[in-house]
Amino acid sequence: MNGHDWTSDKALIEAIQRGDRDAAACLYHRHIDRVHRICHRIVLDPSLTLDCVQEVWLKVFRSVGRFRCQRSVAAWLNAVAANTAIDYYRRSRRQSNRVDIDDPQVESLVADEEAEDVQPVDGPLMQQRICEALEEISVSQRTAFVLRYYEDMPLPEIAGILGCREGTVRTHIRRCLLALRAKLLTKLNQ
Amino acid sequence: MDNPRFSLEEFKALLPDRFESQEKLLSEYQSFLMLLEQLDRLDVPTLSDRDKAEIFRRSWQGRSRSWRPAWPWLGWLRQPAVTFATGIVLGCVLMFAVARSRAAAPQPTSPQQALAVERTSYTQIYTGKVVERLYPQIENPKIVVERPRESSKPQRVLYGTLDEGETYVVWNL
Repeated sequence: MNGHDWTSDKALIEAIQRGDRDAAACLYHRHIDRVHRICHRIVLDPSLTLDCVQEVWLKVFRSVGRFRCQRSVAAWLNAVAANTAIDYYRRSRRQSNRVDIDDPQVESLVADEEAEDVQPVDGPLMQQRICEALEEISVSQRTAFVLRYYEDMPLPEIAGILGCREGTVRTHIRRCLLALRAKLLTKLNQ
Repeated sequence: MDNPRFSLEEFKALLPDRFESQEKLLSEYQSFLMLLEQLDRLDVPTLSDRDKAEIFRRSWQGRSRSWRPAWPWLGWLRQPAVTFATGIVLGCVLMFAVARSRAAAPQPTSPQQALAVERTSYTQIYTGKVVERLYPQIENPKIVVERPRESSKPQRVLYGTLDEGETYVVWNL
C-alpha cells in the first residue's frame, strides 16, 4: 500500500499529527474493518452504518492531535467507534420516535424461563430474527455485549467507554445474554 | 466444552448463584454457547473498496476544519492539566492587574468621609463630618475658602441651609 505498512500505530499517529496523509491512510486501512463491524453491530441499520463510520473517522482525524500514548490506538478507536455508534443509534431512534428501553425487569422476566437449546436455523430468516432480537436490546447492553464477545475487549475498557462501573458492564452483558436467549427462543419458535 | 471466547468461569461470574446443580450449570452454559454460535451467524456486510476510499477522502478533507497540522505543538496546550494550570495563571494575573488598578485609582469623595476637600485654582471647598460637627444647626454645610489673588487674604464662607432647605445660609467666617 505505502511505506508505512510496517509502522506501529503510535508512530502512525505521530506522523498524522504532523499532517502525513499516507500515514492516515495506513492507519485507516488497518482499522477500518473493525470500526465498521462495531458500528454495524451497534447501529444495526446498514443505511446508517456508512455515515456513522465516516463520522468516526472524522472524529479520529480531528482529535488525533489530542491522542495520548498512554493507551493503545486500537482501544482508542474502539472507544470512538462505540460512542459514535451509540449516539447515532439514539439519534436515529429519536428521529423515528422509537424509544430505546433499558429495561431492568428484563432479567426477572427471562430468568424464570426454562433453559432450552436454541435450534439452529439457517438463511436470511435467521439473520432477520437475530437482527430483530438485537434491536430489542437496549443500546448500552448491546454495546457492552458487542465489545466483549465480538471485539474481545476487557471489562474495564468497556466500562471506560460506557462511562460506568465494571459491575454495571457485567449487568449489561448478563441482561443482554438472558434477553437475547429468551427473544431468540421466541422468534425461532414462531 | 469450555469456549475461550466465553469461558465457564466468566459464565459463572456473570450468572452467580443461579443454578442448583453442576448439571444445570453446564446445561445453561451449553445453551449460551449455542446462543453465541447463533449470533455469529449475523453477517456484517463487507465494505467495498470504493466506499472505503470515499469515507477516507471525506474524513481526511473534513478534519482540517478544526485541526491545523501546521501547529501540532498546539495540541500540547489542549491537555486538561495544562489548560487548567494556564487558566489559574491567567486568573491570578488578571486579579493582580485589577487589584493594582484599583489601588492606583483616585478614591471618590464620599459624603461619609470625615473631611473632603475639593481644590480648584482659587478655591478650596471643605465638606464632611468634621464640618457638620462644627455647625450642627446648618444642613449640608460646606466651607468655601477663596483667594482671588496670591497676595490677597483668603475669604472663608460657610454655605448651607436651614429648616429643611427653606432658608439658604451664606455666612462670612
